[in-house]
Amino acid sequence: MALSNIGTYITSTPFYKGVSSAYRGLQQKALDIIPEAVYSNDKVIKGIRKTGEKISSAEQRLILGASALMSQPFIDAHNKSVDEKTRKVSVARTVAKIIAGTLTGYYIRKGCIKGIKALSEMPRANVKKYKTLFTPSNAKDNTSDPFLQYRNAMGTVVALVVMMFTNFLIDAPLTKFLTNTFIKHDEEDKK
Amino acid sequence: MKSPAHLFSDFKNVMYKKYGENPGQMLVHTGVLGWILSSLAQVTAVVFNDKISPEQKTFLIPQEAADAFVNIVSFYVITSSFKNLASKLVSTGKLTTKPIKEFLTKQGVNSSEHIGKIGFNIENMANFNDIKGEYKSFKNGVDVVASTIGSIISCNIVTPLLRNEYAAKQQKKAIAKMHGTDTHDLKSPRGISMDTYIRLSSAKYSSGSLKI
Repeated sequence: MALSNIGTYITSTPFYKGVSSAYRGLQQKALDIIPEAVYSNDKVIKGIRKTGEKISSAEQRLILGASALMSQPFIDAHNKSVDEKTRKVSVARTVAKIIAGTLTGYYIRKGCIKGIKALSEMPRANVKKYKTLFTPSNAKDNTSDPFLQYRNAMGTVVALVVMMFTNFLIDAPLTKFLTNTFIKHDEEDKK
Repeated sequence: MKSPAHLFSDFKNVMYKKYGENPGQMLVHTGVLGWILSSLAQVTAVVFNDKISPEQKTFLIPQEAADAFVNIVSFYVITSSFKNLASKLVSTGKLTTKPIKEFLTKQGVNSSEHIGKIGFNIENMANFNDIKGEYKSFKNGVDVVASTIGSIISCNIVTPLLRNEYAAKQQKKAIAKMHGTDTHDLKSPRGISMDTYIRLSSAKYSSGSLKI
């Protein structure tokens, strides 16, 4: 009740109205620039639909990691604000962090989503109670697309909490090990 | 006062209702949450690391906090802008599939008056249920693609550039402080030596440049 009152108060302030109006104006300009498009190619439409159904945060993390490998080391390698030696260590460290972060990020997200799937069955006579631990009471069936998306969302939230610990336990030592390996490899190449 | 079991049940219902039909928004929100938790871990690691002197902590903690701010804000602004624009393109009928376009034509939707206009929303049309299945699956796909592209641009291009810029300024300040000079007196921000960098980076194991 109190929260909705605060919300009403904020949205009725002249500042909010001004920002909101400016934002809408900006959105309209962006919409005007983009030409209208009607997709009729079945393969393209199917691809877009499948992306919505299949890409969870785990796959997104993998895509981010792969694209990070293609951009971030180059940004660090061309960072003129630091000296050359620092730059090299920085690149090695960035590559190590991308590999460590992507591997742990992907597998922990995937594992947690799978775990939530096992613990979100619909309550039935032959289903043990713990297997319904993560089943929302307002869900009608667990085969619909919204339910699959819910599992992805809940699995991701659980994974993020897990990763607060694995960040120290796995990412940090793995990053350190990989960085040292890359630096050593680079030094051996020079000899 | 609600019991923990009741709160957990409410949490599950809200998650189902909010993200069940909106996977693109889920990716943006969990991405932000990821950055927040990752940043929190970085700051905590510095605060509780005995190997870092109190003097270094006074420098590192604000740096980590500022780093986190850059990461979180740039991720949210860029990713949600991409996602919102993509959503608007679909909901205003500017980006459609053939069946959706046919539905709009059948309903008498006027191209110049409605299509691409921010006040128009396919979801508010009287016979929306006739096309709901086709529309929702297409919109979810477009949202996810847009969120992913936004994340790539934010995490892999904008954030590293902003971070490097910020880190260079911080380095310059630290060097000036070490030498007791003003930052303007430095010829150029040459950076710290590799030994110092390795020592600092081992104490501060992660700079928060990557999301968990």
